[in-house]
Amino acid sequence: MRIQDIGGFNEVREAGLAKYVPARPRIAIGMGTCGTGNGAEGVYHAFADEINRRGMDAQLAPVGCFGFCAREPLVNVWHPGRPLVILQRVQANDVNRILDDLEALRPTQDLAQCKIEDWDHFTAHIRFGAGYPEIPNWHEVPFFKGQKKIVLRNCGLVNPDDLEEYVAVGGYQALYKVLIDNRPDVVIEQIKAAKLRGRGGAGYLTGIKWEFLRKAEADCKYIICNADEGDPGAYMNRNEIEGDPHSLLEGMIIGGFVMGASEGIIYVRAEYPLAVHRLHRAVEQATEYGLLGENILGRGFDFNIQLVEGAGAFVCGEETALIASLEGKAGRPWPRPPYPAKKGLYGKPTNINNVETWCNIAPIVSKGPAWFTQTGSPKSSGTKVFSLVGKVTNTGLVEMPLGTPLKTFVYDIGEGGLNGRQVKAVQTGGPSGGCIPQDMFDTPVDYESLAQLGSIMGSGGMVVMDEDNCMVDVARYFIEFTHSESCGKCVPCRVGLDKGLRMLNAFTNGSAPLASLESLDELGRMIRDTSLCGLGQSAPNPVLTTMRHFRHEFEITSGPGAAARECARTWPFRPAKTVARCT
Amino acid sequence: MTASSPNPAEQEFVDQVIARHQGRPGALLGILEEVQGRHPNKYLPLEVLDYIATKTGTPWAQVYSVATFYALFNLEPQGRHTVCICRGTACHTRGSRNLLERLKLELGLRSDGEEGSADKLSLTTADRRFTVRTVACFGQCALAPVVEVNHSIFGHVNEQSLQREIEAIRHEGGK
Repeated sequence: MRIQDIGGFNEVREAGLAKYVPARPRIAIGMGTCGTGNGAEGVYHAFADEINRRGMDAQLAPVGCFGFCAREPLVNVWHPGRPLVILQRVQANDVNRILDDLEALRPTQDLAQCKIEDWDHFTAHIRFGAGYPEIPNWHEVPFFKGQKKIVLRNCGLVNPDDLEEYVAVGGYQALYKVLIDNRPDVVIEQIKAAKLRGRGGAGYLTGIKWEFLRKAEADCKYIICNADEGDPGAYMNRNEIEGDPHSLLEGMIIGGFVMGASEGIIYVRAEYPLAVHRLHRAVEQATEYGLLGENILGRGFDFNIQLVEGAGAFVCGEETALIASLEGKAGRPWPRPPYPAKKGLYGKPTNINNVETWCNIAPIVSKGPAWFTQTGSPKSSGTKVFSLVGKVTNTGLVEMPLGTPLKTFVYDIGEGGLNGRQVKAVQTGGPSGGCIPQDMFDTPVDYESLAQLGSIMGSGGMVVMDEDNCMVDVARYFIEFTHSESCGKCVPCRVGLDKGLRMLNAFTNGSAPLASLESLDELGRMIRDTSLCGLGQSAPNPVLTTMRHFRHEFEITSGPGAAARECARTWPFRPAKTVARCT
Repeated sequence: MTASSPNPAEQEFVDQVIARHQGRPGALLGILEEVQGRHPNKYLPLEVLDYIATKTGTPWAQVYSVATFYALFNLEPQGRHTVCICRGTACHTRGSRNLLERLKLELGLRSDGEEGSADKLSLTTADRRFTVRTVACFGQCALAPVVEVNHSIFGHVNEQSLQREIEAIRHEGGK
């Protein structure tokens, strides 16, 4: 059915609420890729069979990931009037007793991770119920303490394949409001006042970027969602799409209306098949309900969204390379200006924003910029989703206010190193970022502070390294990556990274003379200062930061009598004596 | 190009794919992805690329440039079973290089070029039974190290569990 007015809207909302908080128990299985990789599908079928066998009156739904990926498969169980309980590491043979407990109105305590009594979706407020004093509230669990889920407001709770459930928690209301008000300039002022910055890494003010495109005059304008999340060690966008695709669509439709574009494109990695699948579904449903296509919500606005699957090229995360790729060419960037806002896809004005940026739009429009700036630091408002992975006890997706110190991530949320080992550094920003040593963990995580240390926020990857990790090898690993992903268009990046990789190879096999430290530093700065696009300009960061903060590790792996030969061969599982000396 | 033309059935399929994509953004990527996905050996033979170039009116050089630029496209036939090792940062810090080295040893594969330059690897055994690939990142970092065997994701893999998977495939119907 097509939604044409507020009456139709409310009907869909009621239908969604009857599924999200029904008058009967609801069981929701975390079916993101992290869940299915841990056997969530088997759990889902076990629940379906058992509910059927018992003739039980219960609602069963797939949801995305609630964030604590290391504890998958996650299962939410809810009985009307009671808190929602999140169970962790659920196996098919637990299903029977979980259902017994649910029928007896008691939580399955040994599997319970936390409970949720109320949930603020920001676009709506849901009260699940009170009780179960023996189970900790979600924000009392160390992994969730301090987290504020604005972007991930629906992830792991709402069925991503069901538009009605998204509407039930206030979805598409912001779009409705924007279309009814019909004052695009006001929306842009709101986004500007909210100081929302691009979540893809560069941190440019989204409102300003939108204004550029709004002011551009052309017969056709494009807006693009960059979902080509190529940073190794980062998977925020995958989870955001898998868990809540409509939030992305809503942001884009609002953007399309406000900027005067009629075509939207989502460029998504082909390596994320589930995300692609969920997006296809979401676009189909949104079209069916009259939220995409012609005459959206009966307000005379036309907007379409197409999906394009990227084919595995890291450089296509760079906006001009992405546009080249959409035009059917190899993904090679061009020098800016002209910026895409002036001359982008097929020469038309184009706006490109990251998935997470789009997901922030609806809450800002609903709650206003003043609410948004309450969270985060003065220059960087709001939250950022990080993937906390590597050698840390708790791994998963973490959404924290910007400006949170790094140590909170590693020691509070992550609960320190794996198996009690000493954490040595955190790598932020993937191949464009840098390594921050343990003694600088007081640094607040925002755009400026990380840049000061030679790293970047990037898209939000946070890889923890411990005493067993050799920092020279880490630097080499990233150069190996950018070396192979360099598009080859400009000389500093193409030739410089090759030279850099050879020098780092010499370090890891112990054949580098000490002098090459200076050459490596000089080479790094040259690549950074003279490359054409973001890939080359930031590629030396991992090397420059490790040389700055872990110089001694380079020194003991170079020069006469260098003992590093072993650390190259045995790394990372069998730390040789030499590696131990690195710490 | 002097390559021979694809057979009529193949031509018909390619024509349909082109009709679906042509004129839309990202059309060439979409066409190549779909055509490769349907090929039994999951690759793009030169004659097919040539045919796509002619049919879409795209310069042959541009089609070849795209097909060779993106990691997803193969110009060589792939093995019946694909084992893909994630070389993302989280997997790297948790030992994915050792898994890759072990797997290559197990299947008797050798990569050319310098030692350690394991970037964008794609190796197929002589009997075309196995292809070993690497991927920049699956985005499964919480399960690191991650290996994809025939499109199923396996998390927290170690050398023993990887070997078990390979053995299981080897014993499957003697293929």
